[in-house]
Amino acid sequence: MIIRWVCENCNKKWIYPVEKCVYCKGNIEKQKGSKIKVVGITKVTIPSPMHPIIPYNILLLQDEFGNRIPRKTMKEYKIGDDFVLQKAKTKDAVAVVKVKYDVYEAIKESIELLNGIGLNPNDKILVKPSVIAAAYPYQAVNTNPDFLNALLIVLFEHGIKKENIIVAEQALIGSDAKDAASKAGILEICKKNGVEFVDISKCPFEHIESDGYTFRVFNEALKRKVINAPIMKTNFQLGISGALENLSRLVDEKTQRNMYFDNIEKTLPKLAKAISNIFTVADATNGMQGQGPLALGEPAFLNLVLASRNAAALDSVFCEATMLPIPQYVTDYSDNLDVKKIEVVGNEVDALKYPIKQPIATDTAHPDIKVIDGKSCPSCLNIMYNLTSKLVGLRGEQINLIMGSMPTQDMINGKERLVVLGDCAIKKIWDLRIKHIAKIDENIGEVEQLVLLKKMLTTEGKPKITPVDRVKSKMKKLISKVIG
Amino acid sequence: MFIKGVGMTEFGIKEDASSHLVYESAMEALNDADMSMNDVDAIVISNNDILSNGERQRHSASMVSSLFQKKMPIIAVPAGCAGGGTALWTAVKLQKSGNYNNILVIGFEKMVSNISKRITDEMLMGTERIYEQTEGMNFPAENALVAQQYMLLYDVTPDDLALVAFKNHKNAFLNPKARFYKKKVSLEEIKNSPIVASPLRLFDCSIPANGASALILSKDKTDVEITGSAEETDYLAPFEREDMTSWDASKLAADEAYKQAGIAPDDVDIAEIHDAFTSVELISYEDLGFCRKGEGKEMVRKGLTNIDGRMPVNTSGGLKAKGHPISATGVSQIYELVKQMRNEAGERQVSNVKHALAQNIGGAGSTVTVHVLRKVN
Repeated sequence: MIIRWVCENCNKKWIYPVEKCVYCKGNIEKQKGSKIKVVGITKVTIPSPMHPIIPYNILLLQDEFGNRIPRKTMKEYKIGDDFVLQKAKTKDAVAVVKVKYDVYEAIKESIELLNGIGLNPNDKILVKPSVIAAAYPYQAVNTNPDFLNALLIVLFEHGIKKENIIVAEQALIGSDAKDAASKAGILEICKKNGVEFVDISKCPFEHIESDGYTFRVFNEALKRKVINAPIMKTNFQLGISGALENLSRLVDEKTQRNMYFDNIEKTLPKLAKAISNIFTVADATNGMQGQGPLALGEPAFLNLVLASRNAAALDSVFCEATMLPIPQYVTDYSDNLDVKKIEVVGNEVDALKYPIKQPIATDTAHPDIKVIDGKSCPSCLNIMYNLTSKLVGLRGEQINLIMGSMPTQDMINGKERLVVLGDCAIKKIWDLRIKHIAKIDENIGEVEQLVLLKKMLTTEGKPKITPVDRVKSKMKKLISKVIG
Repeated sequence: MFIKGVGMTEFGIKEDASSHLVYESAMEALNDADMSMNDVDAIVISNNDILSNGERQRHSASMVSSLFQKKMPIIAVPAGCAGGGTALWTAVKLQKSGNYNNILVIGFEKMVSNISKRITDEMLMGTERIYEQTEGMNFPAENALVAQQYMLLYDVTPDDLALVAFKNHKNAFLNPKARFYKKKVSLEEIKNSPIVASPLRLFDCSIPANGASALILSKDKTDVEITGSAEETDYLAPFEREDMTSWDASKLAADEAYKQAGIAPDDVDIAEIHDAFTSVELISYEDLGFCRKGEGKEMVRKGLTNIDGRMPVNTSGGLKAKGHPISATGVSQIYELVKQMRNEAGERQVSNVKHALAQNIGGAGSTVTVHVLRKVN
């Protein structure tokens, strides 16, 4: 489809979305061309960072109104050919659509390419964005509010009543969902559209069993059709945070901790299998690269919307397009679904391939603090992120933070100045009888945790928390509480 | 409005700092004008703040102030590949409206300081970000689609494009400032060079270079007068225009410049045309009124634009073979024309030049400046 914004009054035409005509101030309507022909082709043989795979073709397409656009393809065409996008033929198909300044049209097209979501006007819907921490939209930590807004409009156009839609999420353990949703601009969008935002952590949960594992799942997720609306990001621990990972916050805090304790890579696929009626429309307009999933990662301008009934297939296609390795938990969920065999509609994956920055599993916000991650839960991740961010600028001797329930002797071999963070890791290290210089209990106050980590960074040998330190940290805590 | 002095560095791959390139070209222009920096009242510069060259030097107007140790109005006018021409056009307007007797105009760029794909990426950023960049539309590709439409409509052949490249390489062979100076390129090499973006081959594309060029625009009468100066801007993406094969900005700027100069296209004795791609030179013959639409190919087939032809084009070697340091290009075109008008062009001298034209293009016909010069007796 080729879109132009045209003045109803004077017929001026734009390739950019405009609200009113700058000449006659007339109203604007979208002109959508659908009968598209190939009128030009060039085969490009020189690579660039955004387009590393050569050769590729660029077609010059023209619609029935004479509007043209270029389009990259790896396929061969001839001038005069019709250009038609095929719709999905398989249930696991993934639609990938580039956003041409209009995320609403891209979402709509992605759904149409999958032959619709299959909604009835009386359906009750749970929209599950990613809202994990208080961050501004430009930081690409959370689903973009414009994306959510467009998705809600599409749902309304399906006849779904606003009172039958909830937008539900819980932030990472230790963060407040409403604070996060407020800073992320998500609350405002919910309010604007008359849709309720629900903090999952404060809602009832139901026990369900899947593949021998018990989950306490947000009860509405079992009653409603779930529109999974993650933002697509890198994740230093899991490889990516995408469609599958976004479902992990549909369970209560205890289950989340258990899932990580028992290896999130094994338990997450089981959870995903337990929740039916999921349709994913993923926000990869401004995704994240590097040290995601929190604000250590960098925004990656990807300009894509992905959709699928199969969350793992969607994650796999995203990894292929961004040239990231497909995480094991994604392939496990889909019974080793071969990414090459996934039906992709809209854009060709090979024509999209663009390497984004991969996460480094050992890096933190602080250059002298490294992580040995034994699949720690979001609670400890949050602590690690906060502590290491606050110590940036203070240089010292390198320390290695051991986290999670699954560190192994192999991961620790050769590493010195080990500091254990969190209850799971403390227990595991005790079991393994591994020597360490300190441990940070997750239940002590943040200020005390910070003082301890600071001492370890700047003190040679084994640091100790003295009674004076404890008094100091209590005073700091008190002061920060008083002054907010 | 007159040109009092011109200067330019060699266009090549020398790794001099941008500040030194600016210094070298400005010094030559000052010496040529028999002036010092004391006599300069304002400066207009153009540069694209290219990231890939590693200099990370923004705010180039103040850099120039430091370089010349002078506090005065210094304006930076980046305009993609049309930067040099736009700087000159701005200087002309400034001189007409203000109290500036002598204005130094400088274009400079360090293009060749990184691997090819980074340079390609820099150029990619000159195209439309959503419709073109995300579809892999680098500059050769953008121009290839234009060239293809043009070739289909007007029966232009790849051999016609090769003739443009061959002519400009022959001229650069004679130009000591050109990147291809004394480097012989045969017609066969051109025709057999690898495809970059079909139908364009490597030798259909201009060659990136580092360099700077400068001129002094003056109210004092000299032997070269600027009689026409025009700038026009068209939509960014060629696919958005009704006719991709004829560039309105070029036609409008040319019409205006001819009107100001009181001449017709036939009166032009020599031209420097923005041959970023060989196809652009042919399209420009037509847009500038040197021939009718679709007849550009005849001009090159008949050798009319050769150095010994009826109206020599790109005697400097053009962007194709002299080199294309983006913002420096437009001012370097004036350098060549001034040298020709003063009979200082050495082996590539064209006789009896009275009227000369420079066309500088940014993007694929997006920003175009046309300047007309007249030899003052």
